[in-house]
Amino acid sequence: MEEELYVVGKRVPRTDSIYKVTGAAEYTADIKLPNMLIAKVLRSPYPHAKIVNIDISKAKRVPGVKAVITGKDGYGVKWGVFKYTQDHMMLPIDKVRYVGEDIAACAAIDEETAQEAIELIKVDYEPLEPVFDPEEAMKDGAPLIHEGYPRNINIHVHIEVGDVDKAFKEAHYVREDKFRAQGEAYAMLEPYACVAYYKNGYLDLWMPNAGPHVRAKALSNLLKIPLNRIRVRHVFIGGAFGGRSEVAPADFIVSLLSIKTERPVKLVMSREENAISSRQVHDVVARIKTGVKKDGTIVARDYEVIYDGGAYSSTGPIAASVPFYVYEECYRMANVRYHGYRVYTNKGIRGMYGCHGRAFLAGCEAQLDLIAKELGLDPIEIRLKNGLRAGEETATGSKIISCGLQETIEEATKKVDFKNKWKKATRLKGVGMGCVAIMCGFPMGFRSGSSCSVKFNDDGQATIITAIVDNGQGNESMAIQIASEVLGIPMEDINIINADTEATSLDPGAYSQAATFVGANAVKRACEDARRQIAEIAREKLSCEIKDIVIKERMVFSRKNPENKIPISWIVREAFLRGKPIIGVGSYFPNIDLKREWVSKPFGQMAGSFSYGTSVAELTVDENTGKIKVHKFIAAHDCGRPINPMAVEGQLEGGIMQAGIAAIMEGNIWHNGFLMNPDLLEYKIPTAKDMPDIETVLVTTMDPEGPFGAKEGGLTIRMSAYSAIASAFYNATGRLFKELPLTPDKVLELLQTEEG
Amino acid sequence: MRNRKISFTVNNEKVTLHVRPYETLLETLRERLLLTGAKEACGLGSCGACTVIVNRKPVRSCLILTLEVEDAIIETIEGLKKNGNLHPLQKAFMEKGAVQCGFCTPGMIMTAKSLLDRNSRPNRSEIIEAISSNLCRCTGYKKIIEAVEDVCSKE
Repeated sequence: MEEELYVVGKRVPRTDSIYKVTGAAEYTADIKLPNMLIAKVLRSPYPHAKIVNIDISKAKRVPGVKAVITGKDGYGVKWGVFKYTQDHMMLPIDKVRYVGEDIAACAAIDEETAQEAIELIKVDYEPLEPVFDPEEAMKDGAPLIHEGYPRNINIHVHIEVGDVDKAFKEAHYVREDKFRAQGEAYAMLEPYACVAYYKNGYLDLWMPNAGPHVRAKALSNLLKIPLNRIRVRHVFIGGAFGGRSEVAPADFIVSLLSIKTERPVKLVMSREENAISSRQVHDVVARIKTGVKKDGTIVARDYEVIYDGGAYSSTGPIAASVPFYVYEECYRMANVRYHGYRVYTNKGIRGMYGCHGRAFLAGCEAQLDLIAKELGLDPIEIRLKNGLRAGEETATGSKIISCGLQETIEEATKKVDFKNKWKKATRLKGVGMGCVAIMCGFPMGFRSGSSCSVKFNDDGQATIITAIVDNGQGNESMAIQIASEVLGIPMEDINIINADTEATSLDPGAYSQAATFVGANAVKRACEDARRQIAEIAREKLSCEIKDIVIKERMVFSRKNPENKIPISWIVREAFLRGKPIIGVGSYFPNIDLKREWVSKPFGQMAGSFSYGTSVAELTVDENTGKIKVHKFIAAHDCGRPINPMAVEGQLEGGIMQAGIAAIMEGNIWHNGFLMNPDLLEYKIPTAKDMPDIETVLVTTMDPEGPFGAKEGGLTIRMSAYSAIASAFYNATGRLFKELPLTPDKVLELLQTEEG
Repeated sequence: MRNRKISFTVNNEKVTLHVRPYETLLETLRERLLLTGAKEACGLGSCGACTVIVNRKPVRSCLILTLEVEDAIIETIEGLKKNGNLHPLQKAFMEKGAVQCGFCTPGMIMTAKSLLDRNSRPNRSEIIEAISSNLCRCTGYKKIIEAVEDVCSKE
């Protein structure tokens, strides 16, 4: 019999929303500290140039300027997420590698003074030949951006399973296509900002981040300060979407300025700086070759995906792999070859994105529909035939413990009468779908797990202490909701201390979809530990068995005698008297293969579990203007079980916008290393008027490992919504897309080509 | 350039300040009056995160100079709560799950409030039209629209 739940699964208002609707939530740019200085950064006007000399003497003499720094003030340490990707000095001393790269910085009493000083810094450059296109950069003789990386290949991931060539020979039908996608802007509403305060040998930091512990570790390395002396603090965060997972040059710069001045220093980026000099999304080229049997079974796959990596490694090995993995976690792949190349170019620093790899994923899914049509099948049949099921293993050896792929396909498609609409597609009107899976956490060594502690106040209220970070998706509220369920006290009785490296223990952060599956699992276990301690004392007081103890609405009682209730505060006080206060501790480490490595050993268990999702779009194409109108969008997601359905729906709805509608609107435009649309006028993010009619479906599969059966809460839609658009475009026009976004110019060009 | 004196009313409080002639209303609110609810997200009037209400009209405070608001009556997100009670829009945004990262929320609520001040029963398309002036990167707008509709249905 399933246990009755009081809070989990309910549509509760998020605990953080009260601060946000009143304007009280303090984001990094809102922080004001006594004697705080303002920082400004001088940025490179060249995409590739040798730094000959930097003269800061005039800048230093400006009244009110307290410090001016260049790369020479650093410690010569290069940052990289992996030992083999350490290439980013944050303030370069040898050469600049992209337009907008940080060259020098100053801290002054106000913004105007800082700006004046920055304009007085004189840099002598010796321009070098740049390279912008990754396919050009891979050619022999192309300018080299880093030493030791022939053909500018930063990362090469090679995965090979089965006998791919033989399988292609035996295939009934083979299809090969090439797809491109422009990189998108994260365009989180909060421009990047950082506040650092160095005092008495300790460095306090506030910045939007998706993992305070990894941020502190990076800064500890870069600044040569022991980890315990770097304290990344909690702050409200205005969106991340993958773009705030890694240390930023701004963190290093502001820290150095604060160390020099021993005063708090704040840097707030403009929207344009955020687009040019914080992280960007990879542009991608994907060559996709697929071989099928007559019945629609996919027997061979050969993929070559080139990721425009920009100037530095960033999360390179992960970025070069994830699009493949989320696909292999979704479909059976008996014979598959994947070459992922991440290539250096003279463009900005890149990061992971919640919608990363759309050329590959939308390409695979749209091509699949074309193949289905060739075989006389439909998109639903071919996906159900090839989709993985619980109990199976992925091509690279990840076991799947729960899988709602079939349900998401069925639920999403029945809402629009998909089968009939797809078969009878009228001219320029079509439906399409996309499926994907998502790992609930990546292997991150000892950072793959999370822990939590919970303490009680003498009034029976509790505080949970966890490193879970909330970038806006609702992780804090989710942790409190779970604690409330286990502890039997209302959510308003629970405080949370989180995302603070001094107070909390290691956690993977919020960029590998681990917050619910890993972080909240630890919260649940810590609360269960505290609950056990409460039950031990209650058992004596109530003269009953421990298994009969119920804690509900701040009262403790025996299931067999519910009339005899004790307030939880009495038990808590009794525990204090006994010298054993109620302090619960819990941790969770997912079942992952720690020997797995992104490049050297891309095999083994990737994550504890995987979520599944299906996006369905219905659209029309205007043949005169090339404009696509999306009418209806359905998103179905298997999140195991929703902790707060309202919050999960919000994730899906956001994904429909950020990946789905973005597929017809969003793309970074480059010219000679300059980003041409760095602001929010030229870069079009969808408004309320661009949104279609939306429906979301939450599929429950009750994951055996997840907290209360929960898995990751909605990323499958961010990674499949563009596929639905691409597939619907194929259904409407009989043509596969060549490049995303499908803006009117590209649509008109495609309509001139032959179908197929 | 010398600072100039200006007086206006913010959230029912009269203020007199000396501001730089080129200072935006957003800078004055955030830096001098410490009303940091209005956010700067684009700096050129495209996102609406800095929206406040000036003389009953929604205004992008990053686009107007403080010297332009002499004697004006200004409402910001911080003034919405009355006698300790949340404004119905604030409540609805919480209850309908219209808040995610929250960076657009103050501007979005002020835009919605100004709509309701002008038209207490807007239909769905009027709501969409009004809030389409504000960008949100998290929600896909669905729950924001529902929150505003919820307030209209209760009024």
